[in-house]
Amino acid sequence: MFDQYLIRKDSLKNDYIDGKAVGFQFAVRIADYRGCFLSLHNGYYISCDGTEYPRELQTFEINGKAPRTYEELKWCAWEHWDYDDEGIVHVKKEGGLEKGTHHIGLQQSILAQYGYMPWDEEWVKNPPVPGSGAGAGKTETICYFDLELQDTCGCTCGA
Amino acid sequence: MAIKRGVSLYSYQQTQFFRQLDWKGQIREVRENLGTDGIEIINQQLIPHYPFPSEEFLYDFRSYMARYNMNAVTMDVYLDVHQFRDHVMTHGEAAEHLKNDIRLAAKMGFKNVRCLVLVPIDVIEACIPTAEKYDIRIGKEIHAPWPIKPGNYVQPKKGMAAGINFRAVDEMIELRERTKSPYVGLVPDFGIFQYRPSEVTIAYVKRHAKNPEAVDWILEHAPEYGHDELIDVVDEKFPGHGIPVNQIDRVALHKSCCAPEDILDVLPYIVSIHGKFYNMTEIPGKPGCYEDKCIDYETPMKYLRENGYDGYINSEFEGQRDQQDMGEENLVSEIEQVRRHHEMLRRLTGEA
Repeated sequence: MFDQYLIRKDSLKNDYIDGKAVGFQFAVRIADYRGCFLSLHNGYYISCDGTEYPRELQTFEINGKAPRTYEELKWCAWEHWDYDDEGIVHVKKEGGLEKGTHHIGLQQSILAQYGYMPWDEEWVKNPPVPGSGAGAGKTETICYFDLELQDTCGCTCGA
Repeated sequence: MAIKRGVSLYSYQQTQFFRQLDWKGQIREVRENLGTDGIEIINQQLIPHYPFPSEEFLYDFRSYMARYNMNAVTMDVYLDVHQFRDHVMTHGEAAEHLKNDIRLAAKMGFKNVRCLVLVPIDVIEACIPTAEKYDIRIGKEIHAPWPIKPGNYVQPKKGMAAGINFRAVDEMIELRERTKSPYVGLVPDFGIFQYRPSEVTIAYVKRHAKNPEAVDWILEHAPEYGHDELIDVVDEKFPGHGIPVNQIDRVALHKSCCAPEDILDVLPYIVSIHGKFYNMTEIPGKPGCYEDKCIDYETPMKYLRENGYDGYINSEFEGQRDQQDMGEENLVSEIEQVRRHHEMLRRLTGEA
């Protein structure tokens, strides 16, 4: 669900540290009709122009806090990602993305469930790798987006 | 006494997603355009900072409901057993979770919580004292493909259906009879009377299948196979079809999991009812009258009417998610779909 609307179309930007592009970011919504405990958030399948960027290269920014890894989020059992809120996915990529349009593939993995299931113990030991469809909640396909990189400059001039 | 109409704000999930109406706007829509008072909510959709909403929000909600003379019928609550990630939630932890939802429902003025069909029966039993203290009934959802009468159902091993406990309804009725607690009940979902896949579902699955003819084959041949067997045959006949098991289940549906008269078996235990629907279309030759062509409403509603059910049927629109993979021009209007559903409910309750 929300297949075509999981990424905000005008949100693709590069991330900069000291004026140097170190990766890219985009804004996402939850692929469900309800929010979730942050601990359930298990990362994304992300591809950009054919290259995959695994969960270890991603951090997630939500609730006004600095971006966190999924190892950190795992222990946020009492913090909620509200249904109405947008989160920012940051992806490490030296040099960031080139100017222009990029083809992004996305599948969200949130270990939301409706009660006990046969694979529960397995998910504690080996959580599903995002992209397999398992743990993908209400949007089991990989959704594709053609997004225009919004910024072209690492400074605060807005160019 | 008559059947009462309400809306689960679940129906307006897309409207909320695109920030076209917030919960206050949704409540006004129910009051001003549907002319009724029943409100059901999804806790994790509506409540900011769940499960720790502010006092301000709680007061605002009760106050706004009072302003429009609304009735907080049922709050739908969940069970995410992986919340703690280092272990599967124990039944004791699951009971604490449900108790907290019961207290929250009471603070917001609700009369009932709807818990999911997969919540173990001992978890519900452990919550009865809390339900009594806060005067909140616990209604376990009867959701397709769970039957009211299990008969000779075979336990599936694949997909969501693998989690099915076919005795769930019987267990709830036994618990009610053993404890004599009126706080134990059921929330039937009209999806149990769905007898074929909705057109919008078929179209969605076809758009995403690598070979859409696999979907046509399933539609034609599903009745010939058992649940798990069908999945194997589809894998064999259409290698690399790319249709997830849960999507195969949705298009393979060819017979409702409950007969319309089964509703009479659970009538004394009904807390409230989910009026599930996917696509309301005009009935040919009856301008201004609508139906969902894949769900039998008419027969079960006749039984409910004739046998004096006087609780709520709350609209639960679910067709929007099958139309969100295309451009904005293809998004369906939830507001219009629910208005059509209430035209049908008014007609079938004899209100119109």
